[in-house]
Amino acid sequence: MADSLHNSRFRKWLASSPPVAWSVRQLREILIGALRQGPIPNHVAFVMDGNRRFARDHHIETVEGHSLGFEALARILEVCYKAGVKVVTIYAFSIENFKRSKHEVDALMAMAKLKLNQLSEHGALLDRYGASIRILGNRDLVKPDVQEAIDKAVALTAHNKKAILNVCFPYTSRDEITHAVKKTVDTYSKPIENNTPSVKRPFSETHITQHIRKQMLKTVPEDSAENLQASRSVSPSSSKELDAAEGGQSSSTSTAINLSDKGDAHGASPTYPDPENITHETLTDNMLTAGMPPLDLLIRTSGVQRLSDFMLWQCHEDTSVVFLDCLWPEFDLWHFLPVLVEWQWQRKKIQEQERISRSTQNGTRK
Amino acid sequence: MASTGVTIKESAAFRRGKMDGKELTAKQREQMMEKILPLDPDSSSPSRSSSPSRQKYSKQTSRQSPKRKPGVVKRFLYVAVHAIISFLFSVFFRFRRSYRLVKSRVIAVMYHHHRTPEFIQRDIKQLERLPKHLSVILDFNESDEDQGDAGLEGLLNNVCEIAAWTASAGIPMLSIYEKTGKLKNYIPYTHDSITSMLESYFGSRKPSLSVRAPHVQSYTPPRSSSPSHVNGNKSDQPHLTVLLLSSEDGRDTMIDLTKTLADMAQSGTLRPEQVDANLIDAELCEAVSTEPDLLVLFSPTVTLKGYPPWQLRLTEIFHLPDNKGVNYQVFLRSLYNFAKAEMRVGR
Repeated sequence: MADSLHNSRFRKWLASSPPVAWSVRQLREILIGALRQGPIPNHVAFVMDGNRRFARDHHIETVEGHSLGFEALARILEVCYKAGVKVVTIYAFSIENFKRSKHEVDALMAMAKLKLNQLSEHGALLDRYGASIRILGNRDLVKPDVQEAIDKAVALTAHNKKAILNVCFPYTSRDEITHAVKKTVDTYSKPIENNTPSVKRPFSETHITQHIRKQMLKTVPEDSAENLQASRSVSPSSSKELDAAEGGQSSSTSTAINLSDKGDAHGASPTYPDPENITHETLTDNMLTAGMPPLDLLIRTSGVQRLSDFMLWQCHEDTSVVFLDCLWPEFDLWHFLPVLVEWQWQRKKIQEQERISRSTQNGTRK
Repeated sequence: MASTGVTIKESAAFRRGKMDGKELTAKQREQMMEKILPLDPDSSSPSRSSSPSRQKYSKQTSRQSPKRKPGVVKRFLYVAVHAIISFLFSVFFRFRRSYRLVKSRVIAVMYHHHRTPEFIQRDIKQLERLPKHLSVILDFNESDEDQGDAGLEGLLNNVCEIAAWTASAGIPMLSIYEKTGKLKNYIPYTHDSITSMLESYFGSRKPSLSVRAPHVQSYTPPRSSSPSHVNGNKSDQPHLTVLLLSSEDGRDTMIDLTKTLADMAQSGTLRPEQVDANLIDAELCEAVSTEPDLLVLFSPTVTLKGYPPWQLRLTEIFHLPDNKGVNYQVFLRSLYNFAKAEMRVGR
């Protein structure tokens, strides 16, 4: 025991001696640069699990474990942004976590406030990474002083467009989904101002468009997959524009349809947008992650194989979910690298398979 | 911790916010961070720190003339390192896959159900807890990839096997997610197939079975037709419910719910403030399914393929890395994992 302690101290001393520290830094740079040569996920999410167990295993205070976890976060964020990840989402604090001891919750809140304030002092440095911070979650649940720190940090980095850091802070996915549903219901329960009467026809345009859309979905699944890929490869800013354009389009079509649809109802009762226009894009746009690229990779540390109410809506389709055994404070480039390389490997294989299936389909068509 | 290339003194300074007993100012912290930061996006000139690295790794890049722009050399280095890493890892992945395959073969030999519920019960006897609701994700394979479960027949066969194992383990609820939802069109046929599979496992003491899908009425065959129902009418007879899910039960159902809620809000029977998690939860539980305790994937990696998101909240997700196809040992190991029990190979 004492021997291993001595050993680890020696290792620590060696690792932190200036020349070794310098070469490790260079090695990291090279590895990150090498990673950039392959495909890089646009959107990565982390569940930072294991701080408390790490503290227990190392006989330190729980709060200390959390601050070590914060350091791990800083390290991994550096790796992510240098490697070219556009959006990083972290699960910092769950609404369920309010059930923990008051001491721990208070300490976590204080830490959040401190780190956010420190961050605000370094606006220029954040600009170099080009990262903007967004806090996702139910902000009504946190105290006003923390809210203030949040607002300050968010406002300070709002102009950065290159990368996004989403901090899920009092967040649960069910809360998010509920919010999205509520917001959608809210928008659809407000009557439309503009009500010019028009001719009534026996067919509903919405129905027809829906029908066509359904048929399109059924007949050309490859096409939609291609679209998805295309939208993944574009940068988030342009995809955001695309989203915005789409959103504008759909809303304009919806009003148009309603105008022609409402001939029978003109007069006393107010007109509402047609609920049939609600699609999963509508809900996605009302999620807290609206406008961000789809989640490519979700990593959970500490060996727990659950999502624990995180990113349910975002990750249940094509996201690769990875469960790692290491605890979050230990998490570093050396754990992250194999995951990323494996992801790249899988991505390559999927692309190959798609190419093969496409070529065979073309062959059969001919 | 120290592998980031930050010295002890500095990391301690960051941690405490003090250096040499004095409070750090924002400026000092920035100075300390300077060497780790990426370059200013505006200044394209090469930084000092990049030149020593060039010298150090010039052995690898000797084919490149060192007088070229540093960007080119660096880029070449990155490409080379990337190629090396990719190669090493692909070798590693292949080795790991074969190791895991051998291991799972060994376990498959040691633990086999032999179509006998007693064997399955013996395998899980020592487990302290079992899921009440088990869920699995299956794939519909268009073509046969040496697993022999292509097409509808193969899928149905997998469903029957899993249902029989579940029933043998005494788990009352099984939901089967299959993206395309093809099986939903053949519910009576599925029921017949599972029943005959259960018969081959249990003989005459087979548990009763109901197969259903969301938005479709539960299918239990007319009682008079099956004699086993008559003599097995005791209350202690185990029952298995099989629920068939598809991608429509995920996002689409939630959108349908939103539409309905919007309709109600428009007609004034519901205020938007009344929408809360409990309401959605109750509706989705009713319409689709409750939260499964354990989700088993038979695919080599975890991708959820459109599994109903709301229900996944606290579900334990199990997959066996590099496993392909449905087999009993994945099922068994998922139960062991769920019970946090160690699976001993050399018992």
